[in-house]
Amino acid sequence: MIEINATIIAQILNFLILVVILRMVAYKPVVRMLKAREDKIAESLDKADADRAAAEAALRQNKETLAAAQTRAQEIIDKAEKMAREEHDASIQETKREIEQMKKNAQEEIQRERARAVEQLKGEVVALSMAAAGKIITKNIDASDNEAIIGEFIAKLDKEKIGDLPC
Amino acid sequence: MHEIGVREVVQFAGWTFNWETLVMTWITMAIVILIAILATRNLKMVPSGWQNVVEMVITGLHSQIDVTMGKRGRMLAPLIITLFLFLLISNWLGLIPQMASPTNDLNTTLGLALLIIVMVHCLGLYFKGGHYIAHFFQPVPVFVIINAIEEVAKPITLAFRLFGNILAGEILIIILLKLMPIWMPIPSVIWLAFSIFIGGVQAFIFTMLSMAYLSNAVKDEHEE
Repeated sequence: MIEINATIIAQILNFLILVVILRMVAYKPVVRMLKAREDKIAESLDKADADRAAAEAALRQNKETLAAAQTRAQEIIDKAEKMAREEHDASIQETKREIEQMKKNAQEEIQRERARAVEQLKGEVVALSMAAAGKIITKNIDASDNEAIIGEFIAKLDKEKIGDLPC
Repeated sequence: MHEIGVREVVQFAGWTFNWETLVMTWITMAIVILIAILATRNLKMVPSGWQNVVEMVITGLHSQIDVTMGKRGRMLAPLIITLFLFLLISNWLGLIPQMASPTNDLNTTLGLALLIIVMVHCLGLYFKGGHYIAHFFQPVPVFVIINAIEEVAKPITLAFRLFGNILAGEILIIILLKLMPIWMPIPSVIWLAFSIFIGGVQAFIFTMLSMAYLSNAVKDEHEE
């Protein structure tokens, strides 16, 4: 019943052949499959991480851009407000100056009118005086001497009396 | 129904072969290959059905190997899977009427046991060199005697445990059929069910012991 013969060698060979066949037919594909899946999962995880990092970076950049835009808008508004105020102030200043100028001109005009009125009055006074003198003084004096006398009188008059004339 | 203990032999090129064992071995091989092909055809990236089971077996075996042997034990995974499948199918084949287990022949079991033990020593020498030889003389050189007995006992126990279990099972099936009248099948059925259990257990034991022996040789102590 128990006899060892060449079958033992045949059985070892049979088994080794079976190992080789199974390794080729079944084991390798399964292991390759498992490895492929492992790789795919690892790759997917890496990709997910990278995607999330990219999304975060984009979000951060967007926020920065938005903040910069807001700052810039504020600056522009401030500048515009400042410019408007300056313009306003300048126009008020200008108006004030014009009013001042107009006032001065008016005063000068008044002054001038007054001077002219005084001159005119002087002339009229001289003429009246002459007429009066001509009537009063019988003595015939020639006109030039007469005028000199009257002019002196008027000048005196001017200094003493007309200075206080209210006009 | 063949007579117990009598084997058909064929002579080929001056060698004697047990014909029935060879034929049964080839049938077993065919079944194992067929199962392997059916289980692993149409592999998909997203597993379903049988692929889950196959992957679970292989990843489980890989993790077992990683723990007991380290990384370089991975190359032995196909051998271990094949060993288990071959022994399981062999043990169960003999339970079918008119069939016989290849493992009821000592040539098969001793052949496998010797193959494992030779592999253990070759891998041990290859991976560890002089250190492997030195460990037979630990802790004192006298222990070489005990160690040598142990090393010789390993293949013999492996081979005879499997051989005895399977042959006894088959003999008892025949005896029960002869002892019991044809209308009383219960003892035969019980024994058949028990034989199925024994076949699985013995295949498992043989494989686990082979793994243990191999891991001793392959495991790298400095790897931890």
